[in-house]
Amino acid sequence: MILVKDLHKYFGKLEVLKGINCHIKEKEVVVVIGPSGSGKSTFLRCLNKLEEPTRGEITVDGIPLNSDVNVNAIRREVGMVFQRFNLFPHMTALENIILAPEVVRKTNKAEARKNGMELLAKVGLYDKADEYPDRLSGGQQQRVAIARALAMKPKIMLFDEATSALDPEMVGEVLSVMKDLAREGMTMVVVTHEMGFAREVGDRVIFMDEGIIMEEGKPNEVFENPKNPRTQAFLSKIL
Amino acid sequence: MGMNWHVVVDNMPILAKGALLTLELTAGAVAIGVIIGLFMALARLSKRKVVRAGAIAYIDFFRGTPLLVQIFLVYFGIPMLLKWQTMPDNYQYTAGILAMGLNSGAYIAEIFRAGIQSIDRGQTEAARSLGMTQAQALRYVILPQAFKRTIPPLGNEFIALLKDSSLLSIIAIQELFYTGKIIVGRTYQPLPMYLAVALYYLVMTQLIAQWVAYMERRLGKNDLG
Repeated sequence: MILVKDLHKYFGKLEVLKGINCHIKEKEVVVVIGPSGSGKSTFLRCLNKLEEPTRGEITVDGIPLNSDVNVNAIRREVGMVFQRFNLFPHMTALENIILAPEVVRKTNKAEARKNGMELLAKVGLYDKADEYPDRLSGGQQQRVAIARALAMKPKIMLFDEATSALDPEMVGEVLSVMKDLAREGMTMVVVTHEMGFAREVGDRVIFMDEGIIMEEGKPNEVFENPKNPRTQAFLSKIL
Repeated sequence: MGMNWHVVVDNMPILAKGALLTLELTAGAVAIGVIIGLFMALARLSKRKVVRAGAIAYIDFFRGTPLLVQIFLVYFGIPMLLKWQTMPDNYQYTAGILAMGLNSGAYIAEIFRAGIQSIDRGQTEAARSLGMTQAQALRYVILPQAFKRTIPPLGNEFIALLKDSSLLSIIAIQELFYTGKIIVGRTYQPLPMYLAVALYYLVMTQLIAQWVAYMERRLGKNDLG
């Protein structure tokens, strides 16, 4: 589904990604962990071209992500959820969800609304359809943001520290929506600090540090028997 | 020479006519200014260097030279460029509105640019990550939010423009100030007349200020963005 070959990314002179190689299969849930500054968010943002890779190849759903490709076509198939939700504050929850289907997919309004309400029901916010984001809690906003991404019927979902900006009591509600998605077979790449989620839901864990993949494997292997000393040091600090 | 306040009362209707023309000239200039301002703001933020440089040159010129000079440049310059033998009837109105519109376009461009740049980057990223083009993200996500933030500075610009329209008296447009000046010439009552003129301007600028405050309240009620 996603193929990454020798991905490099520089910000000015700073090399943030130093040659990432990885293959994410359909329906796979890949959890990316690592210390802050390790490049994991940048890696994720390269996958839908929010960041332009400096060098290397990325293929998403068979389409190479090079400068010629229609970026918007890729982004339609790849949903993204941000740490800070990024809901559109001038629109209600439902309007947030149906905007892209209407504008990008040219879905008619009635159908977009119907799908939107179903998605709101799915994330447990059916009764909040007409609320503006500033009237919703952080957890509710993030669930709307997930529904908004799903409204485009993406094949892949990217989560960029989706629970890091939430109050602790709201982390659970967002994680449970993400777990449901994983169970339904969504291909997911999740950058997170939630090790419980990584263990429970992840098919594979990738540990990144200093711009490279230090270690990857099944969650039990990585968490129980980390081979790389850097992984051991990182896990001993947070577990 | 005694003060004669009757002059003011007698000439109220004529002054009102001048004030109405002042409003019309300002409205015309605002319409042109907003359109130019929007395009120049977008050009100013363009990724293309040439487009950006063009917008910067435009903004620098119209902000950095006096409106009075710009009025003359348009009023006398266009007929020369187009090699007109005589000026068409009522050409001064077209030239006056155009000059003011061109001038205010530069200021409004900067207002819109600041408004657009004040919107969090995450908004664009969210819109683009949903597959929207840059233009769609601007139209549905960025501009509606930016526009709301530009209302107070836009109100200031409209008020400044209304007052500056008095400069159009120089090309014999019979707006409020020009009308007042003519009446003073006839009646030799500068203090009462110019006070009346000032009062008319004050009422009009107050109306704009009230309208801006109303728009701000109305658009602000839904969210804090």
